[in-house]
Amino acid sequence: MTRQAVRDSVTGYLFLGPNILLLGLFLFLPLGWAILLSLQQTNGFGAGEFVGLANYSRLLGDPVFWRSTGNTALFTALVVPISLALGLGLAVLMNSVIPARGLFRTVIVLPMVISGVATALIGVLIFDQNVGIANKLLRALGVGTVPWQSEGVAAFASVVLVTVWWRVGLTMLVYLAGLQNVPPELYEAARIDGAGLWAQFRHVTVPMVGPATFFLLVINVIYSFQVFDVVYVLTGGGPGYSTSVLVTYAYENGFMIRDQGYAAAIGVVLLALTLAFTAILWRTSRTRDLVG
Amino acid sequence: MQLNRRQLLGAFGTASVTAALTSCAGFTRSGSDAQAPASAPSGSSSGSVSGELTFTTWGSDSELAGFERAIAAFQSANPGATVALNAVPFEQMFPNIDAQLQSDTAPDIFRVDYDNLGTYAGRGQLLDLTDYLDGAIGDDFTESMWQAVQFDGAPHGLPHHTDTSTILYNISAFEAAGITSVPDTLDSAWTWEEFEQVALTLQAQLPDGRYPFAYNWQGQGVTRWLSWLFQADGRFLDEDLVTPAIDSEAGRAAVDFTASFFARGLVPENSSVKSTTFASDLFFSETVAMTFAGAFLLPSADSLAPFEWGATFSPRNVRGGGDLGGNALVATAGTTKPELAAQFLTFMTQQETMNDFCAGASLLPTRRDLVDAGIEFEIRPELSTVFVQQATTVQGADAAQVASASMAAINLVLSDQLEQAFVAGQSTDDTLANMSAGIAEATAR
Repeated sequence: MTRQAVRDSVTGYLFLGPNILLLGLFLFLPLGWAILLSLQQTNGFGAGEFVGLANYSRLLGDPVFWRSTGNTALFTALVVPISLALGLGLAVLMNSVIPARGLFRTVIVLPMVISGVATALIGVLIFDQNVGIANKLLRALGVGTVPWQSEGVAAFASVVLVTVWWRVGLTMLVYLAGLQNVPPELYEAARIDGAGLWAQFRHVTVPMVGPATFFLLVINVIYSFQVFDVVYVLTGGGPGYSTSVLVTYAYENGFMIRDQGYAAAIGVVLLALTLAFTAILWRTSRTRDLVG
Repeated sequence: MQLNRRQLLGAFGTASVTAALTSCAGFTRSGSDAQAPASAPSGSSSGSVSGELTFTTWGSDSELAGFERAIAAFQSANPGATVALNAVPFEQMFPNIDAQLQSDTAPDIFRVDYDNLGTYAGRGQLLDLTDYLDGAIGDDFTESMWQAVQFDGAPHGLPHHTDTSTILYNISAFEAAGITSVPDTLDSAWTWEEFEQVALTLQAQLPDGRYPFAYNWQGQGVTRWLSWLFQADGRFLDEDLVTPAIDSEAGRAAVDFTASFFARGLVPENSSVKSTTFASDLFFSETVAMTFAGAFLLPSADSLAPFEWGATFSPRNVRGGGDLGGNALVATAGTTKPELAAQFLTFMTQQETMNDFCAGASLLPTRRDLVDAGIEFEIRPELSTVFVQQATTVQGADAAQVASASMAAINLVLSDQLEQAFVAGQSTDDTLANMSAGIAEATAR
């Protein structure tokens, strides 16, 4: 290796250094610690007792864990496609010439700058079963009210709706950036070839925002697997276990009953699921490397 | 390394107190004689030791103001002793304390509810105060409250104040239903049957969307369900505080009666134990005509309820019973100043200090002399006696169970199983069997 190459390598590592240090300290070290903790029986204080894979085998027979896993999967399966579809639709709309476009963009992006807890508190005002805005509106329209807080399906729907409202701003923003990189000549060529609006959207817009879709799909799936604040504030995991998700269940075990080894095992399973899903997406996506 | 972390914690604590002081409207800084209790207890300065204590708590504005006044009086009575108050939001209180205990950066003193006291004591995190307290100090407190701070027969804290739930009712809703009087003595408190009849009378008069009452078991308040069990003269732990005892006739009566609230539409559907809507909010919005509430809610009710309201006693069955609310003050096992810590705890539970704190924050005293003499809340003082009398229904055996080492895990069992009974139609037999199994698992951990 030449002296110049060595110097370049050192420079590269110096630039990378701060990030590697921060990632190591705040990501990989806690991650390794959590994996170690998941192999221990703990009571929240002092050194734990090594129990091997006992926490993981306990998970297999825990019905609340499976219910929470199912809820997390369902939540992801609903929130991700709805967010992407709405985000793309709104981005296309906001990319066209409409009156007060800036105002609409701001309104849509606004929830993104609010914390999840604050968003969920607004959700409580909307979906309170007795005095919430949603049921007041339904009452005013002469339609029956919805048991948002006392019936499982309705409660789950309220969590999905609030999350979509919160997340669609970011999705729209990323798609908007992607759309502005699509050369207008492509649409012009499509029109000359006789393509209508839907055909242009289907055969030009969708493929050209492929990399944005891949990016949004991955981060939305990760965010959905990690959902906590909206569920914790809006429904507390109830009624029953109908909105309990993996992170709220891990929180209950880790911080309410201080069974941190078991909570860490739930966290590790969540990590494994996230990594597996991302790897599958990475291997199967044909558009991840396309440049719009 | 440890010294550095402690210094860092001290700096953080000081910064937090400053932030709390500047952000709380109406917050009075310590040092003002006018704000301090009339006189410092004479014994508090004898054998005075110096140094700085760190004290972490959460609290409402009036509670924090009470702590500030008491700390000022303590510092005045003990020259050379200082207390750095660190006020944190309740939601962060115990996760923070856990992390600090694990990393050896915990404060010397912290405030803890009686449910959590047993959890910390059972894991060796609290200072056994036996060697640092006057041997007769237990006589100062009511039996139930002294029992609530015991672990393995030794005091691991001092009961700073208590609270228990009574019924707040909407006067005009009662009048509209033709209910013109409520019990005004503990002995005449409604029986379960009478309470049920009142609820049914209200239900017949209230329009759609309004309900007779709500119970305050939401928001980690599931321990309050135990009041029904105690009123049925039941236990959830045997005398060894390990063996489950909930699968009993009393347990059956309590589950049956409380599940019937939902089955018969006497409470809003969204007021179960896991609901994020609090009973008090349902009362303030006039969704319900009655709510069960602790005295700490009186200031909120005074400012938020847009209607006339009163208070009466909780129902009784085989006996009266109530929830063990309130908080103790504890010293951490790792404190380097155990004498000073014990001296501070003693001072905080002296008659004048406790009276000042409880009256200002609408909380109930734990001292016998104050219970006997009565206390006058600053807000709605005429209701003080209802709460003070209701607190006398908490028996020592009730307190000992609630303060057991496994209470945090037992609370989760109660929450899960009651939720299933209330909103998912789980049978009483299954509920009791599951509770019993869950409690056995929790105490075996």
